[in-house]
Amino acid sequence: MLVRLAAKSAVAALAGALLLEAQETGAGVSFVKDIKPILETRCLKCHGDTMQAAKLDLRTREAAFRGSDKGPVIVAHKPEESSLFKKISGAEKPLMPMDGKLPEAQIAAIRAWIEQGAAWSAPLDGGNAASAKQNLAALEKWTVPAGARDQWAFRKPVKTTPPATGDAAWDRHPIDAFVRRTQLDRKLTPAPLASPAMLVRRAYLDLTGLPPTPAEARAFLDDKSPNAWEKLIDRLLDSPHYGERWGRHWLDVARYADSNGYEHDFDRPNAWRYRDYVIQAFNKDTPYNTFLEEQLAGDEMEQVTHERLIATGFLRNYAKVGFREKDNPQFRVDYLDDMIATLGRGVLGLTVQCARCHNHKFDPIGQQDYYKLQASLYGYVEVDHPLTSDAEAKAYHAKVDAVNARIKPVQAEMRALEEPYCAKLLDAKYRKWPQNIQDAVFTPEEKRTAGQVLLANQIIRTTSVTPAEIEKSLAPADLAQWKALQARIKEIENDRPKPIPVAMGITDGDYRYVPDGAGDEPAPGKGPRRETLEPGSFLADGKAPYAVPPSYFLHHGDMGSPGSVMKPGFVAVVDDGDCATEIRPAHQRTSGRRLALARWLTSRNHPLTSRVIVNRAWRHHFGRGIVMTLDNFGKVGEPPTHPELLDWLAVDFMDQGWSFKKLHKLIMTSRVYRLSSQFAASENLSTDADNQYLWRYRAQRLEAEAVRDSVLAVSGSLDRKMHGPAIFPQLPAEVLESMDKGIWRKFEDGPAVWRRSVYVYRKRGLPLPFFEVFDLPDQNVATGTRLTSTVPTQALTLLNNEWILTQARRLADRVAIEAPGGAGEQVDLVYWLVFSRSPSAGEKRVAQEFLAKNTLNDFTHVLLNLSEFIYLR
Amino acid sequence: MPRFVDRRKFLFEAGGGLSGLGLATLLAQDNLLGAESGVTPAGCATGGVVTSSPFAPKPPHFAPRAKRVISLFMSGGVSQMDTYDPKPALTKFAGEPLPVTGDLIVRQGHPGPLMPSPFTFKQYGQGGLPISELFPRIAENHADRLAVIRSVKGRSNDHVMASYELASGTVRMGWPSVGSWVAYGLGSDNQNLPAFVVIYDARGGPFGGPSNWSAGYMPAAYQGTIFRSKGNPIFDLRPPEGVSDDAMRSRLGLLDKLNAMDLEKNPANSELAARISAYELAFRMQSCAPEAVDVDREPEATKKLYGIDNPITAPFGRQCLIARRLAERGVRYVQLYHGGIGNQNTDTWDAHGNVKENHTAHAAETDTPIAGLLTDLKERGLLDDTLVLWHSEFGRMPISQRGLGRDHNPGAMSIWMAGAKIHGGQAIGASDDFGYKASQQVVTVHDLHATILHLLGMDHTKLTFAFQGRKMRLTDVYGEVIPQIAKA
Repeated sequence: MLVRLAAKSAVAALAGALLLEAQETGAGVSFVKDIKPILETRCLKCHGDTMQAAKLDLRTREAAFRGSDKGPVIVAHKPEESSLFKKISGAEKPLMPMDGKLPEAQIAAIRAWIEQGAAWSAPLDGGNAASAKQNLAALEKWTVPAGARDQWAFRKPVKTTPPATGDAAWDRHPIDAFVRRTQLDRKLTPAPLASPAMLVRRAYLDLTGLPPTPAEARAFLDDKSPNAWEKLIDRLLDSPHYGERWGRHWLDVARYADSNGYEHDFDRPNAWRYRDYVIQAFNKDTPYNTFLEEQLAGDEMEQVTHERLIATGFLRNYAKVGFREKDNPQFRVDYLDDMIATLGRGVLGLTVQCARCHNHKFDPIGQQDYYKLQASLYGYVEVDHPLTSDAEAKAYHAKVDAVNARIKPVQAEMRALEEPYCAKLLDAKYRKWPQNIQDAVFTPEEKRTAGQVLLANQIIRTTSVTPAEIEKSLAPADLAQWKALQARIKEIENDRPKPIPVAMGITDGDYRYVPDGAGDEPAPGKGPRRETLEPGSFLADGKAPYAVPPSYFLHHGDMGSPGSVMKPGFVAVVDDGDCATEIRPAHQRTSGRRLALARWLTSRNHPLTSRVIVNRAWRHHFGRGIVMTLDNFGKVGEPPTHPELLDWLAVDFMDQGWSFKKLHKLIMTSRVYRLSSQFAASENLSTDADNQYLWRYRAQRLEAEAVRDSVLAVSGSLDRKMHGPAIFPQLPAEVLESMDKGIWRKFEDGPAVWRRSVYVYRKRGLPLPFFEVFDLPDQNVATGTRLTSTVPTQALTLLNNEWILTQARRLADRVAIEAPGGAGEQVDLVYWLVFSRSPSAGEKRVAQEFLAKNTLNDFTHVLLNLSEFIYLR
Repeated sequence: MPRFVDRRKFLFEAGGGLSGLGLATLLAQDNLLGAESGVTPAGCATGGVVTSSPFAPKPPHFAPRAKRVISLFMSGGVSQMDTYDPKPALTKFAGEPLPVTGDLIVRQGHPGPLMPSPFTFKQYGQGGLPISELFPRIAENHADRLAVIRSVKGRSNDHVMASYELASGTVRMGWPSVGSWVAYGLGSDNQNLPAFVVIYDARGGPFGGPSNWSAGYMPAAYQGTIFRSKGNPIFDLRPPEGVSDDAMRSRLGLLDKLNAMDLEKNPANSELAARISAYELAFRMQSCAPEAVDVDREPEATKKLYGIDNPITAPFGRQCLIARRLAERGVRYVQLYHGGIGNQNTDTWDAHGNVKENHTAHAAETDTPIAGLLTDLKERGLLDDTLVLWHSEFGRMPISQRGLGRDHNPGAMSIWMAGAKIHGGQAIGASDDFGYKASQQVVTVHDLHATILHLLGMDHTKLTFAFQGRKMRLTDVYGEVIPQIAKA
């Protein structure tokens, strides 16, 4: 805290006490001779011209005594209390200077200097600024270390010939050949093939997230043709439910949600269009390279469609503070960080975001890589793309402008009428305050004391009158005129056109001139803030080439320590330099940097993109990735269990046109996919207990959404209607109370919400408790692997939750109608519905004994609690 | 800690599960389904130990001073100048501007002049700790038990971000809360109850809602479990009306039989066994959890001690008494919130309008319950190994907002710790002459977290969770244990 007032103020004297104390000069150690050189040579590098780490600035006495972001660092006469001394002597961590401890003599000198009162008699020599700048320049000139590209993940994948296993049953399919070879090497015995009944259930749950109906299961079991399995896969890949299932996997990576998060958790009324775009993209089998390009740069592609504009919502899925962001420029860099983290972990499988403040600690990723990527994205601005023809959009805006223009003079007339009444009302309000406040308000401006200026300013600028108050106070004649004017406005408002549909997306622009969005409105009386200079000017008009606002290399990630202006670029260790960093679109309204980024990611030479996505698909089919750490292919990630297979798949995926559907079919037609999960061999368990080498199929707990969808499907409640705005399942009042910001619409528990879980509103501040119990991951960061826990609250939910009990009852009612022939028939039908199979003789006996004493409803509820129902086996 | 955590690491495993009784045996026991009030069901005190459950007890890094934490979060922002950090300079310079250079960042409106505290301070106890008239019972009975830290500094003047910082060390969403870290690091001594319990104000949740007790990137099992202070404490603990106990009993019997048949068909599948254990635990929880929150069992004198006999103090009194009962039963981390955002101006400590009215009301709601909690813990011998923590999300401004209120101020806040053999009656650190900014021995939230973990016997630099290719810590790369608190 520094003194601003003249010495006559006692406040100044008080606050300045510390400074005065430090002013005395002492004999013994000389500041100029002994201390200044140490500070200049050892401290200024990080606490001087180019940067002020921890906000500590040692260039001037004033700044040095102000201290760091943790408070004062020098307490005159008291070295033991001065963190500057404690940090150089090792009494406090981290030891300073960072690049090596000072010689003992220098430490002793600084101690003595502080003991003497820490006199500071001369400014530090700025001559070091140049060398400090050089040091920083060195940080910016990082190059990929020699040999770094030899790490397996940074080499281009190669499609090798699948090995021979000597067993025709396994050599038939490339995946099997690779997998069986590793098993043979480890003397692992593979499980037998799963039964057709298990397979049909596995295929349905895996590809659509729904169990087969009894008729669907029987159709497959009755199909004796040799390609029945292939036909089943084709059928399921054609099902619209495929996109709902696999789209949901991608939405985890895209950290999709329907609300902003943070304090206000504002609704994002158009977010669902992005969710629907993802579902449709999977259903259409949009090639993954196009899929990425649309999401990163749909607005920069040669053919810009509404769909592609919606796709740009991907970059806008970050959690957002949504409150006076223009006053907090830091937020925008955080959103950019979120984009970089999502692209890094989600697409590249690299923790690029670690390089925001320093070069990556484990991987060969420089801080400059981070800021190159940031520059590639830096032009972005949030925008609601109209989803109409250009002509319609133009006509709409013209109509809105016309309405506003007609209203404006009427409003002015109203204000003129109101003015005298307002003044009276305000005066009455001021007179309700305590005397000292009234004094401040009513003292003429020029006579107010400094404190009264503040007080009066607070009161005057935050007191207003409401239209209702005005209405009450108006004289009859004025009231009639006022009402007439109000009616006139209302009449004009009738001409205001209905809003056109829009997509929540991004494009390039100038963030400094973005108009206010939801939550940007200043609170009543909020003081000066950065204003929009020219409304609308934040978007380029295409008449002149668009220029991205400058972005900088930020030392220590600190906005206060900018280095050079950054050019766009990529992660050097996986960049062979063949790709342009800007591909200017013809319309000139954007920079083309994001398009270039997308092209680089999807270049055939890119070693990571195809490996990472193929591995994700593998994880969802098998419950474990070939690289177990889906989001981290770097040094601290797990190495692949089947490196040649991963490479083969990655290259084949590109060869097949980046087609997910072809990849699914390839994987699912392998033998290894069809192995039984109900198998154990003691030798296998002792050498590979984790089943890394796929000697049996890994049973997997269904994700939260699939558990809910399965319940709805078997009870016959599921409404398979697709797409559209989100649904809001009922929440207990107590849950709603815990988070009253944002929205949660009231829906009855009934068919309107008995739709698939992918359509459930994702509220960042309030995840659906049912999903949370079944391990819904945090909705704010890109998630690859969902962790699965098995805890008592899941049992409590499946046993006692009202919704589950309703569905169990509906299942019982359904069975009673569909199987009127008695207990035996009913047990069969329940088993077919819930488990896609007939009960065993033992199960049937137990069930019938149970039903002799209990209701069908008791029985159906128990079956929904069994592991077989909520596990993919 | 493995470098990457896969699902299998978080499963209960077969064998050693619970007491190996199985649902069938449990079903045969009396009192488990329909526990009669007034009777403590067998086994609720500790429950069986499941060695590989996410909540299996884990050894600390070194001998702990505290086995558990009760955290009292006063939501909305408590004013330090009006509670634990007297500032005579405010009286002396009342009505003058606060002398600062650069921007004076206020949350709402424009900065006002310096405003003295409307409350008087007195020194209490042998340590002479100054406490304002807002907390007479805490002051008179416990001043020598409180270590007040007057120099805590936060990073945000936004309620939600500041609350997240206190909860998780970062102002961003999606990070594990300190309760999750403690549950993860130490597990629980009672498998029949959650390790990390949250009880929020009956008027509504705190700023930022459930993200405050989120497990972030950790498995969801470590998130805080909401206990309601009335009725069934956990959602879905009991079936809704219309499902009889008999029906439930026979359903569970069938479930047990079919599970056994399923287990036979699926050899070497630990997840199945884990699910069976989870049902057994759930079954026990059905009777143990209601028992744990049943404050009606307490003697009248105890209820009075917590102020449950007075409508003003009863709501938070119930929360505090439940906290003691949970602490007694081995719950590791109990997080109470006072103040609900249903109506943030009146129901939280967010005293923008009138600090005198606001703080008088909320102090009156909490003084007796907190004093009662400390007394009760002491009398039961629990205080010596329980850390009681009192704090808010930020402090308030020494300058006024419209003459009567105070705006947000993360620059300085006063918090206190008690119990765990902490030296009481001391004030640690200091804010500047006006209480605007922490000035001596600045304590960050990371430092607070490091200190909490330290008291629980954990080294904050060694408690890590692998995520995003990094060993994540509650304290990131920061945090220093507060020496005066660490001193035994």
